[in-house]
Amino acid sequence: MIKIKYTSSLSVVVVTLLAGLLGACDKATYEPYKEPPPSIKVEQGEVQAFCPETIDPTWREAQTIAGVEIQESRLCLPDNPSDIAAFVRGTNNLTMTQLMGTQLSTDALVKGRDLDGDGDPDEIHIRLEVVELNGGSPDSSDPMTTFEIAPGVKPGFWAFAPKTRGMATENFESNVANSMLRLPSPTIRVEQGDKVTITLENSHYFPHTIHLHGVDHPYVKENGEGNDGVPQTSGPMIMPGQRFSYELQPRHAGTMAYHCHVQTGAHLLMGLIGLFVIEENRPNNPVQTFNIGAGHVRHPSVAVRESYDREYDLLYIDTDTELHNIIRSSNDVRKIAKSMNREYKLSESTPDYFLLNGRSFPYTLRESIIVTAPDENVKLRILNAGTSMLALHTHGHKPTITHYDGVELAEAAQVTRDVIMVGSAQRVDLKLSTHNDGLHSYGEGIWLYHDHTELGITSNNMMPGGNIATIVYESYLSPEGMPKTQGVSLMPYFSPEYYQRKVPVWSASDPDGQLGEPQGE
Amino acid sequence: MNDSPERKFSAIGPRGLFSSIGVIALSQLVSGHALANEPGEEQLFRAEAYDASEQRTDLAIDKTMEGSCGEGKCGEGKCGEGSCGSNMRMDELAMVMNENKDNIPKDCPQISEDIKLTVKAGREYSLGHNGTIFGFDANEWRVSPCSRITVTFINEDQVRHQWMIHGLPKYLYPQGMYHMELNGEGQVTGTFIVPSNEKNYLVHCDIAQHMEKGMKAQLVVGKGDGNLPSIPGISGAYIPPAE
Repeated sequence: MIKIKYTSSLSVVVVTLLAGLLGACDKATYEPYKEPPPSIKVEQGEVQAFCPETIDPTWREAQTIAGVEIQESRLCLPDNPSDIAAFVRGTNNLTMTQLMGTQLSTDALVKGRDLDGDGDPDEIHIRLEVVELNGGSPDSSDPMTTFEIAPGVKPGFWAFAPKTRGMATENFESNVANSMLRLPSPTIRVEQGDKVTITLENSHYFPHTIHLHGVDHPYVKENGEGNDGVPQTSGPMIMPGQRFSYELQPRHAGTMAYHCHVQTGAHLLMGLIGLFVIEENRPNNPVQTFNIGAGHVRHPSVAVRESYDREYDLLYIDTDTELHNIIRSSNDVRKIAKSMNREYKLSESTPDYFLLNGRSFPYTLRESIIVTAPDENVKLRILNAGTSMLALHTHGHKPTITHYDGVELAEAAQVTRDVIMVGSAQRVDLKLSTHNDGLHSYGEGIWLYHDHTELGITSNNMMPGGNIATIVYESYLSPEGMPKTQGVSLMPYFSPEYYQRKVPVWSASDPDGQLGEPQGE
Repeated sequence: MNDSPERKFSAIGPRGLFSSIGVIALSQLVSGHALANEPGEEQLFRAEAYDASEQRTDLAIDKTMEGSCGEGKCGEGKCGEGSCGSNMRMDELAMVMNENKDNIPKDCPQISEDIKLTVKAGREYSLGHNGTIFGFDANEWRVSPCSRITVTFINEDQVRHQWMIHGLPKYLYPQGMYHMELNGEGQVTGTFIVPSNEKNYLVHCDIAQHMEKGMKAQLVVGKGDGNLPSIPGISGAYIPPAE
C-alpha cells in the first residue's frame, strides 16, 4: 500500500513538473528583445603632459652654486638649485645678484656666527609667513593663488612659507602660486646645538602660532615670553599683521615636526604642519635650512652622507574638501571663522584626498618618486600629518626602521618589514637598502610605495590616486624624470575628467568600449 | 565702460595679469643661475636681524641694485632679451620698483602738478570695513592727469605689505606696474608719473589674500573711467556680464 501510494504521488509530481515546463515554453512571458544601448565614447578631455616644459633641464644636474654642493635630482620637477644654495648659505651671505635668483626676502634666512668654531654657522634666524593657496575672492569663484594637488583639483590650503618678496604668483600672467608657496609647509633643517630663532610673521587673516613638536625647546624664552606655541598654556596667539619669535637650541638630533597650535584640528589639517629635522653636529656642516615641498634633499648633512647615498623627506596628510573649501565660501573673515570653527564638524569628516608632499597621484610621480640605484642606502624621513594610521607599503623592498619619533632604535629593535605603520604625528626614519638579496630589494625596476589602507590610494574615491608614488631605479628613468613604465598608459590620469569620475577607468585598454559607458547612463 | 580686456582682468582678480615682481624685477638682470657667481664679486647683501624695538626710519636705500631700462634700452643686454627690464632699489627694509621721476609720458606736454601722498597700511585700517582684516588708510586717491606723484608708504604692521599700481604705460613701466614693498614696519618713498588719460588704476597688496581681505584701492586720474569692483567703502563685488 505504501509503495503504491508513493508511486502515485511521484507521478503527480512528474506530471506537474512537465506541465510547468511545457507551459513556460508555451506561454511566453519574457520581454521583447531590445539591444542594450551602445557604449558611448567618453571624451578624455585635456590630458596634461607628464612633465611640464617650464622646468630648466639643467636644474636636474649635480652642480656647485655659491660654493654649495648640490646633488643631482633626476625628478621631472627638481628643486631650483639657486634656492638650495640660498638655503644653505643664508640670504645675508649672498650677493644681491644671487639673492635676485631666488624669490626670498632679504631677511628670510639670516645665518650668523660660528659659535663652536667648527666651520659652519650656528646662529640661524628663520622667518616664516603664512600663505593661503586656492583661496577666495569676492569677484570670482575661481581659486586665487592656485596650487593643484592633482589634475584640476584645487582644495583650499594654508602653508608656512619662507618669507618671500614681490608677487605671490609664478609670473606676470599666471594665477599659479610661485614655487616657494606650496604644500606641504617646508621641511626646516638645523644642526644640533644651533641657536635658532624662528620668527612667525603672520601674513594671514587668522591667528596662528608655531608649536615645535618633539623638538627640544624651552617652555619660556630668556625674556619670560612663552615659547611653546600653545595659546592656552604658553602665550598669546600671533594675530594677523603681528610677528613673534620662537627660540631654541636643540640638544637632540632627529626627525621632528612643527605645526600651528591654534584650532589645531582645523589649522594643522589646512596644511600648517611640516617636518623639522635636527641634523647631528659635524664640522663644516652648513645644512639646507629649507626643503621646499619636502621630498629629495639635494644638500644632505655631513652625518647623513656618512651613511646614506640619498635622502628624502616624506609628509603624508589627508584632506576633507568640505573643510578646505570653507575659505572660498565667503570673503568675510568672520563668516569663514564661524564656518570653520563653529559649523564644520570634524567628527563627520570624510577625507577625500590623500597627499604625499602636497600632491596626489599622478603628480606624485613628478616630484616624489624615490630615485635610486643598486647597492645604495636611502634615508627616508616620514611624518604622518593625517588623521588616520598610515600603513606604508614598499613594493620590492623591505626597509629597516631605524628611528621612531626622532629617537634611534637599538640595533636589535630595528625591524625590517614591508608595511610600516605610522600613527598621526609620528615620525619614522627608514633605511631603504637597494642591495638585491631577495630580502631588502628584489632588484631594479619601478616599485610602488603607498599607503595600504586602500582609502589612502584614492582621490575623490577614484583609483589610482591618493599617495601612490614609486621607487624608481635610474635604469628605469627617462632623462625627463619619467619612469619607463611598461603597463597601461599613465596619461588618462593626467586629465581633470578622470578624477571628476567622468571617464570609465579602463578606456585606454578597451577601445571597443565593452567595459565603457552605456549610452543614456 | 568697464569692458576693456584689462578692466575685465582686474575685475576678476588681478593676479591673473599682475604677477611675480621678484621674477620680473630682476630676472632680466640675472641670466640662468643667478647664484653661479661666487660671493666677493659684489658686496655681500647684509640683512641684519631686526626686532620690534629697532627704530625704523625713512629709507635711505643704498643703490646697490639700481639700474634703469626705459624705452629703447630693451634687448641691449642689460635688461635681458625680448623684454623691458625694471629698475629697482632694495635694502633689508624695502623695495621700490619702476620708479620714474623724470620720464614724461608721450601724451603729456609737461608735468602738470607735483603731488605728495602719504599712504598708511596695516591691520588697524581694516577696522572701518567690516569683514576685512588688512587695509590702507584710504581706498581712493584722486590726481590730475600728467601729475608726478611721490608716495610715502608707511607700514604699521609687523609683516610685509605692498602698494602696487597696475595698468600704467608699459613703455615707461615694465609690466605696466609701479611697486613699493616694506618688509615690516617702516616707510619708504618713491615717485611715478601718470599719463594724461582719465582712468581708474588698480592699487593693491599682492601678498596672498591681502587684496581680497581689504587691501584694494584705486588711483583716479582726472575723472577716472569708473570704479573698480570690491573696493572697501566704494564698490561691491564684480558682476560678470550676462551671457
